[in-house]
Amino acid sequence: MPHADVVVIGAGLSGLVAAARLAETGATVTLVAKGHASTHWGAGGLDVAAPVGAGTPAEGVARLAAEDHPYSFLGPDVAPSVAWLLERLEASGLPYAGTLDTPIRRVPTAIGGTRRVAIVPAAQAAALRPWDRDELLVVAGPAGFKDFWPAAIADSLGRESVWQGADRPSHVTGVSVELAGIADRNNLNAMHLARRFDDPAQRADDIGRFAAAVRKAAGGRPGRVAVPAVFGLGEHAEAWEELRARLPLEPFEIPLVPPSIPGMRLWHVLRERIRAAGGRVQIGEAVHRIHVEGGRVIAVEMEAAARTHLIRTEALIMATGGLAGGGLVATGDGHIVEPLLNLHVDAPEHDAWLVADALDPSGHPIEAAGIATDAGLRPLAHDGRTVALANVLVAGALLAGQRSLRERCGDGIAVASGWRAANELATDAARTPIGREPLAVRTDQ
Amino acid sequence: MAVPHTVDVLVIGGGATGAGVLRDLARRGLKSVLVERSDFGTGTTGRYHGLLHSGGRYVGKDKLAARECIDENRVLRRIAPASIEDTGGYFVATPDDPDDYVEAFAENCGLSGVDFDEVRVADLLAREPALNPKIRRAFRTPDGSIEPWQLIESTLADAKRHGSTALTYHRVVGMELIGNRISEVTLRDERTGTVSRVWTRFVVSAAGAWAGQIAALANVAVEMTPGKGTMLIYNHRMTDAVINRCHRSSDGDIMVPVHTVAILGTTDIKVPDPDEYEITRAEVVRLVSEGAKMFPDLPRMRILRAYAGVRPLYQPPADAVPGVGNRSISRAHAILDHADQGVENFVSIVGGKLTTHRLMAEQTVDVVAAKMGVTTRCTTAEEMLPGQEAGHTYWLGHRLADHEEEGGGDAALLCECELVDRRMVDTYLDTHWPCSIDDVRRGTRVGMGPCQGAFCTFRVAGLVAERLDQHTAATGLPAPGAHVVDGHGPGTGALHAAIADRALTGFLRERFKGTRPIAEGRQLQELMMTNGIYVGVLGLDSMASAPAPAVDEESLHAAR
Amino acid sequence: MTIADIVREAAEERPVSASSDECLKCNVCNTVCPVLRVTDLFAGPKYEGPQAQRYRMAGLQQIQGPDSVNPKSPDHSVDYCSGCGWCTTVCPAGVKIAEMNSQARGRLREGRRPKLRDWGLAQTDLVGTMGVLFSPFANFAFHNRVVRAAFELALGVHRKAPFPQFSKRTFQSTWKRRQARRPDGGTTKTRPGPDKAVVYFHGCSANYYEPHVAEAAIWVLKRNGFETIVPEQVCCGLPLISNGLYDDARERACKNGSVFAEYARAGYRIVGTSTSCTHTLKAEYEEMLDMRDADTTAVSHATWDICEFLLDLHEEGRLDTNFGRLDEDLPYHAPCQLRSHGIGLPALDLFALVPGLRAKDMDHDCCGIAGTYGMKKEKYPIAMKVGAPLFEKVKASGATVAACDSETCRWQIETATGVRTRHPIEILAEAYRAADKAGGGTAAD
Repeated sequence: MPHADVVVIGAGLSGLVAAARLAETGATVTLVAKGHASTHWGAGGLDVAAPVGAGTPAEGVARLAAEDHPYSFLGPDVAPSVAWLLERLEASGLPYAGTLDTPIRRVPTAIGGTRRVAIVPAAQAAALRPWDRDELLVVAGPAGFKDFWPAAIADSLGRESVWQGADRPSHVTGVSVELAGIADRNNLNAMHLARRFDDPAQRADDIGRFAAAVRKAAGGRPGRVAVPAVFGLGEHAEAWEELRARLPLEPFEIPLVPPSIPGMRLWHVLRERIRAAGGRVQIGEAVHRIHVEGGRVIAVEMEAAARTHLIRTEALIMATGGLAGGGLVATGDGHIVEPLLNLHVDAPEHDAWLVADALDPSGHPIEAAGIATDAGLRPLAHDGRTVALANVLVAGALLAGQRSLRERCGDGIAVASGWRAANELATDAARTPIGREPLAVRTDQ
Repeated sequence: MAVPHTVDVLVIGGGATGAGVLRDLARRGLKSVLVERSDFGTGTTGRYHGLLHSGGRYVGKDKLAARECIDENRVLRRIAPASIEDTGGYFVATPDDPDDYVEAFAENCGLSGVDFDEVRVADLLAREPALNPKIRRAFRTPDGSIEPWQLIESTLADAKRHGSTALTYHRVVGMELIGNRISEVTLRDERTGTVSRVWTRFVVSAAGAWAGQIAALANVAVEMTPGKGTMLIYNHRMTDAVINRCHRSSDGDIMVPVHTVAILGTTDIKVPDPDEYEITRAEVVRLVSEGAKMFPDLPRMRILRAYAGVRPLYQPPADAVPGVGNRSISRAHAILDHADQGVENFVSIVGGKLTTHRLMAEQTVDVVAAKMGVTTRCTTAEEMLPGQEAGHTYWLGHRLADHEEEGGGDAALLCECELVDRRMVDTYLDTHWPCSIDDVRRGTRVGMGPCQGAFCTFRVAGLVAERLDQHTAATGLPAPGAHVVDGHGPGTGALHAAIADRALTGFLRERFKGTRPIAEGRQLQELMMTNGIYVGVLGLDSMASAPAPAVDEESLHAAR
Repeated sequence: MTIADIVREAAEERPVSASSDECLKCNVCNTVCPVLRVTDLFAGPKYEGPQAQRYRMAGLQQIQGPDSVNPKSPDHSVDYCSGCGWCTTVCPAGVKIAEMNSQARGRLREGRRPKLRDWGLAQTDLVGTMGVLFSPFANFAFHNRVVRAAFELALGVHRKAPFPQFSKRTFQSTWKRRQARRPDGGTTKTRPGPDKAVVYFHGCSANYYEPHVAEAAIWVLKRNGFETIVPEQVCCGLPLISNGLYDDARERACKNGSVFAEYARAGYRIVGTSTSCTHTLKAEYEEMLDMRDADTTAVSHATWDICEFLLDLHEEGRLDTNFGRLDEDLPYHAPCQLRSHGIGLPALDLFALVPGLRAKDMDHDCCGIAGTYGMKKEKYPIAMKVGAPLFEKVKASGATVAACDSETCRWQIETATGVRTRHPIEILAEAYRAADKAGGGTAAD
């Protein structure tokens, strides 16, 4: 049966980071995942930490580290892991802007609200610069695209309350851009638009129309343009460069509801990194069962047609996500379970899962549910002290104790824990050589 | 729409019964107005099970009610076919259902005039594979499912055709009597705060569970004992026919397919206030375990939300003599002539069910007409309602087939789950603005599918803001309805955004109330994912207006 | 039974249609659909699958609604689903989207007479037998422009749809002759045991068009110590399933089942050289035709794809890895049906054992043919657009040979690129022969 040094379960940010880092160190890594979730649902990252009162991500991490929070033991991994990731992304043609010391600022969202960020894909970065008093914000989107309503966004962003005291553009205006051929289309989602911008001829025409519309709306005033995050998938860099060159105002992308194009860009880059370094990425393979012997995981059994498919492994990284990602399941009788290894889950009582107000600013207690681990990311058993399994590490949203919506720490935890988990195992591998040669060295990548 | 100055009859309550009364009054030549404190069908009508009774549920204990049901079932199929899905129904004897009831069932149906047919269990199981294979016997009856809002709209359209008006968001806040007659009713427009007065010769209260509160305004005592009934909406139709347990009615013994979902009901718990109630986890558990007796796989099926309606149950006074003083036609509903409490021109219709609403209205208007010396007879059973000319009953796939006919695809779909396209929402807003997104939901089904508004609410809010902007751009004025929102910054754009905001957050909060009691499995995952998107990507927390107050106007926009 | 078991079981064993309950409406499926990518006639897997499923009537209620529409499938556009399965692969919640679409397509045809074209394309045994019988004429006709134009007009099979050459003789008849010439007259008195023989499912493609694939497979198996048993067999029925002819498909399944199940129960593995046929045997009888009888199950559990089988041997250390050197670039396309097997890409792992062979995964979603889908007049243009990037990549590679495990994909790629496309087993056979040549020829025959 096939064999890997490490199997990573989950293709979200933490799984991808862990697999990419491991593959780099020369370990044989196979990443398996049921499907796509967090990357394709999110904003493209990177939310490291922005709890109330923090001025920079570094400050945010320090604040959270002082509490009962994964950052209390992952804190030191944040800087090197984020630096590593940003460097790799830049090298792959997907640069991000911002560092852990960049001030956290509010940027516009696709429904006309604002959210607090510091590190974002370069295409979103222009939103981070402080606003001058005379700056205009033009919100421009393709007419007929139901996930982005420029007029509504502009109306909303024109309100002081939405900026929550931060500096803001003095004037916001929305403009719908008529793109060729859209009115006749039966289907139009973010993917369709992104692909238009991957086609040089189509992109030139579309960008020309954007430029004309923005020029008219701006009327010569200085400012910036907010556009939906659909400017290319495979040729994002080219499309963005062209847009910047031709628009009279500096543009920035705004992430939309799923499917997240910025998230998909990130996903593709990390997948290619893993494969280029000899790792395997197998999407669509749901884990059927994990084989444990003597307190160690020895094999992962995948669902296959008519049978299952075993991968023997020396170690396992569980990056299956939290409740949203499917790594934790709430059963009908009020329990939250981790369905693959039945790891002990730290969760509030059933009655306390959700507070009465859907939009309560402190969020819902159930968000903190997850697996408690030791400082080395090893899952703890029911007693809270013993390590449950010797060769399993937990990463990402599956870790207990993070209220990622309120703290805006999801991406930071994912990157830091994925990186940390990979390093822990790479060290092990170096100390005790796994021995067996990988089954076959694929020359196709 | 202007409040009339003087009318013959003022009808209170815009549920099915009130609408039916207005229609009947109008057709008999009585100039009338109906006033409803919220949107039409937001009381019990909007929160009921969706069932078009065959009467089979009553053949055991109330044959009169059963007969009324089957008679009206036939009438409604004639006059409102497009609001009805001819699902058919079955009464099935599960292993938990006692023999005596089952054996008497056929005879009881016969005595009540309810059509029935015994079917071979094997045949039934072949048609409805999700049913309990241990069913002993099964009887087919002409149950169906009925969509109330279209029904009410059609009914009111007919009333309008005959010269009457219906007003939403007009709450009755006072009644003035001269001697032993109500002379004037005071109304408050809930959106603007404007107060108006209507002179009327007669008042009919069709306020259902709120009849007691309304009657009190005229110092009349009507003892209502509202009964809460909780229902669970299942994500997919595991049955295409109404399935009843063949036994004495109890909790969770009926599943009704309604449009794209199936609804399991219900419970019966007394609540003191029809506006104040909670759905408990215990109710949910009970419903599921009872429902599993009909559908063994039910515990694994996804529940979209729980909701509750309040039955307008009437408690006659302990010393009342039946047949004297109140016109109890049957135990199912009662027409209370408040002359016996000293008010000559005030009648309340209480109790009843949607299936018999037309009959209830007829009987009520008979009383009113007699008292007012009007001899025109009732014709409401004879003519098809406007907007119903489709001629054939609703069928599940029609929205999809229609959409495909028009080219299909998802570009224009604002609500993908329920196939609501932009044109449909525009049309609704054209005719109903100012309204809330909840009202849009009732009219179009936006947000009633598996995502429970996650991916369509903001689109509708975006469309609303866009339209308001266009209105202002065209006229230079703030759009109507804009003044509902106070305390927001200068400029109409801000106002529009605030309306959309409030609609968005209000809608999400309301939906959450129904999801919270059943939050588990995929539905909880959906909720978490949605929160992650709304807060994490869309920054909704920066926009949420005031936190949800305990009881506010939003709670009046009863959500299903 | 742990809670995890309960949770996992809850996810299994439900009918395909009920899996619409799992849908989170996240749009991830829409990001990978090859058909949605290229045409407006198809609204995407989310719309056509779990969304539309809620509008299709479950039971056998009396037909309502306009006569022209089947209430069990009120949408026509689902017919444009190619069945490639990518949507199911990436869904994080386990919705069986492709399967749901397939069933809906089947129901579109329920109660009506099948189109002659669809019926014809599904009669692979009939067409194959007649074609081989009259092969010179049939080959002329099927590749003659005028005849094909007439076919297109009359039947709706696109004139340019790829079609292979009929063999002069069916593989079955060649095999039987060969058996008859054996000293024991081909009797099965001394049938080798399951550790020394496998049962071969050749499928229609090897039987009527590509007997050399069968020969290569048998030769390679022999090389590795396995005799081949070739029972009487008929078409696996997949084209019938794809075209909604479920009863006919069941008939084929039963016929094959009654023969192969006996072998399966005796412990023999059933090996096939068509990933489509083997997937049908493994999974589609149960999933699409609801067949759960003992024969079907026995066959399902005993079926192996040839590369899967050889790779398993290798993992047990039993594969002859003495491959000769093949110095060449080899573009490889993984068929959609192979992904549905859930066995990874065994051909690539085997290629990695061949010195000098530079096999490269084209990493493209779908070649477009999707069985008989791309042959249909109205779908051919869609199929060609779907496959276009793959064809470009293959041509750009400069290779003279490409590889793919599925026959219709091979025909599609070869016709569109002009590059000879072979089954991986042929490449492996070639590699063994190269070893023999270099080593002086030791292979048995």
